[in-house]
Amino acid sequence: MIRLGRLCNYSNRRILPLRPLSSILRYASNHQSRKLRGPTTQDVSYFRSILSRPDRSVLDGSSSSTASQDVTDEIAKYNVDWTKKYRGSSDLVLRPQTTSEVSSILQYCHENYIGITPQGGNTGLCGGATPYNTEIILSMEDMDRIYCIDEYSGILTCDAGCILQNLHSYAEENGFLFPLDIGSKGSCQIGGNVSTNAGGHHFFRFGSLHGTVVGMEVVLANGRVLRSSASVRKDNTGYDLKQLFIGAEGTLGIVTKVAIACPALPTSKNVVLLVCNSYDDVLSVLQTAKEELGEILSAIELIDWNTMQFVQRFGNGFGSSLISELLTPKSISSDPAKKQSPLYILVESQGCDQVSDSAKMDSFLTSLYESSAIENGVLAHDSKQMEEIWAIRESCNPSVASAGFVHKFDVSIPIEMYIEVSEEVEKHLQDENLHDLSVCTWGHVADGNAHINIVSSGQFHKHDDTAEKIENIVYSSVMKRKGSISAEHGIGQSKRKYLKQIKDDGVLELMSQIKMTFDPHLILNPGKYIP
Amino acid sequence: MKKILVPVKRVIDYAQKIRVDPSKGAEGVQLKNVKMSMNPFCEIAVEEAIQLKEKTKAEVVAISVGPKQCTETIRTALAMGADRGIHVETKPDVRGDYINLQPWAIASLLKGIVEREDGVDLILLGKQSIDSDCGQTGPLLAGLLNAPQATFAAKIEAGDDGSFTVERETDAGTETIKLNSSVKPAVITCDLRLNTPRYPTMPNIMKAKKKKVETISLEDMVKELGLDLDEVLTPKNEVVEVYEPPPRKEGELVGSIDELLGKLKEKGLVA
Repeated sequence: MIRLGRLCNYSNRRILPLRPLSSILRYASNHQSRKLRGPTTQDVSYFRSILSRPDRSVLDGSSSSTASQDVTDEIAKYNVDWTKKYRGSSDLVLRPQTTSEVSSILQYCHENYIGITPQGGNTGLCGGATPYNTEIILSMEDMDRIYCIDEYSGILTCDAGCILQNLHSYAEENGFLFPLDIGSKGSCQIGGNVSTNAGGHHFFRFGSLHGTVVGMEVVLANGRVLRSSASVRKDNTGYDLKQLFIGAEGTLGIVTKVAIACPALPTSKNVVLLVCNSYDDVLSVLQTAKEELGEILSAIELIDWNTMQFVQRFGNGFGSSLISELLTPKSISSDPAKKQSPLYILVESQGCDQVSDSAKMDSFLTSLYESSAIENGVLAHDSKQMEEIWAIRESCNPSVASAGFVHKFDVSIPIEMYIEVSEEVEKHLQDENLHDLSVCTWGHVADGNAHINIVSSGQFHKHDDTAEKIENIVYSSVMKRKGSISAEHGIGQSKRKYLKQIKDDGVLELMSQIKMTFDPHLILNPGKYIP
Repeated sequence: MKKILVPVKRVIDYAQKIRVDPSKGAEGVQLKNVKMSMNPFCEIAVEEAIQLKEKTKAEVVAISVGPKQCTETIRTALAMGADRGIHVETKPDVRGDYINLQPWAIASLLKGIVEREDGVDLILLGKQSIDSDCGQTGPLLAGLLNAPQATFAAKIEAGDDGSFTVERETDAGTETIKLNSSVKPAVITCDLRLNTPRYPTMPNIMKAKKKKVETISLEDMVKELGLDLDEVLTPKNEVVEVYEPPPRKEGELVGSIDELLGKLKEKGLVA
């Protein structure tokens, strides 16, 4: 199935007149000497011959094979993303067992100009892991060995296909905390996390993967395997190439192994869910948290009123008694002139001394209560209650997805102006006569990262012109405040077209040059990332 | 109803991975740097007491026996709605997880405290603690007090005449017992399905700070109650050995149904 009208590797080439070098390089990503192709039956036979477990590793759904309904159904799952907005047309899924198999596959695809889409847990929200066309899907799921964790440095080494939750459990058993934590941890894989530079709940405390990844093994487009040191934390010898792959979304190389430095497992954890009447109060909470909780503060998450209502309706009963208790705050004014909406803040602390941490938490809550920055709140006093409070936060995304069609945005905004964007978007939507839309905002407020989800309740289809109008409204509101249109979800397919508008020409040129250096035949994840 | 007593136990949090140090023998379970919380069944007991208080205006007293950190556990009960607390403070090296203090000692102390309090109508306990899993403190206390008792309560109703109607879940079905009002106090132990413990909310957390907690050392309490300290601290049962269960063996990945069948036959699991 050829997609018409999209500027990508597959569309017909214009013959370009001679231009200055800079222009030629800018167009490099969508102009190449030879077109990419999808896999053929000969390719499938070749793969079957070089892989150690061909029955497991080669999932061939092409009509020329005797593909059973089971195989076709299975391939279909790989071809759709989590949001169900992106559908690829791949007929071939490869599931390599080792790095050398990945290398052989890529070498062959490089020589034969066959496009490859790497895929981890398929939990991405920008269509980055879904084939653009008929590319081979390279699933890393079978490469899921955890090798070891160093008891002194906390450096955990594992395959890229390891599921994040398993890494958490393994680290915990050994007295460490895996520094990355996101809602999809039950399914997402670390290779994908690294390739998208995932942020998550504990970004505030432990920082970005750019800091915590200390080593990596990557297979380049031509099959060459690149390894960077993985047993020490500090290594200033040469350009830190691994940084390029973090967040490159599989366009520069395929991550096959990762080494991540894990902090010691904190033994004392506290979680509170607070209710504020206004964003100014939320800012008080943020500042007070930094002052009173200090070094033990590990996460601050915001959830707005619209979102909480969806969580209560569609959230599978998570903490329902808790939500009912907190969903009748006096702040919901019946006076239409005074529209107030409560804002919920989850605050988590992690430290190593239960007594002093509880004292800090107590002093934090007392300050807030006495200054009236919070109207109400609950403090979890055992693990079960902590999990329930986090479950409320983690069910925000699935709850709105169950409610209707969601226009998803993941933006960075200066903290002071965080809620202004949602308020402005709401106003503009009404001005444009776009009704029946709920603007739901939740996110990592301490990082200035807002997940703005605009939901058309009860309707599950996308209307292209509405979608475009909404995108324009949200992005212009963010850009005028000098924010970012993709804080942590990445570019994938969904935000590619905006890069030209928000990035300098010089930056785009260099990005293209880097892409050409690492992947001169442009086989890695075509149709994504580079405009 | 005038007064409800709720003993609460501070135990290793249910979600923690238990570590056993084999070199420490019977005291192998590590308690250092491990998250502790109120025993989940005790939480249910506190919740039930608060619900009864809301209906009958009774006073709810939370009691805990353990090291100084137990005041935290009592504060949680106060934040849920209990009115005051009694903390019988033990020396830091005295273990409550069956090594030093065992149900007999606790039940003897609680009996004394019940009599010391005077006017207690009901004692609500968790059916068992998740560290020692004995389930004996409630029944022993009832025996010592000659009190009517119902264990594993899944529903409790307080009658206007001071009686308690308790539903218990058994293998044969639901059993309903009435504890008549003529004998006071009554002892009821609480099971999982009795209720869902509430979260302490901010206004109650703040109020809890002002509520009174009486702290009295184990030695002083024992003296006051006329018990023998040695008797209390010498366990009736000796823990002989503590070890971690053997780790689960990893499963095997097979490539096809035939391979699976072959393996099952090999292991003699299928004919």
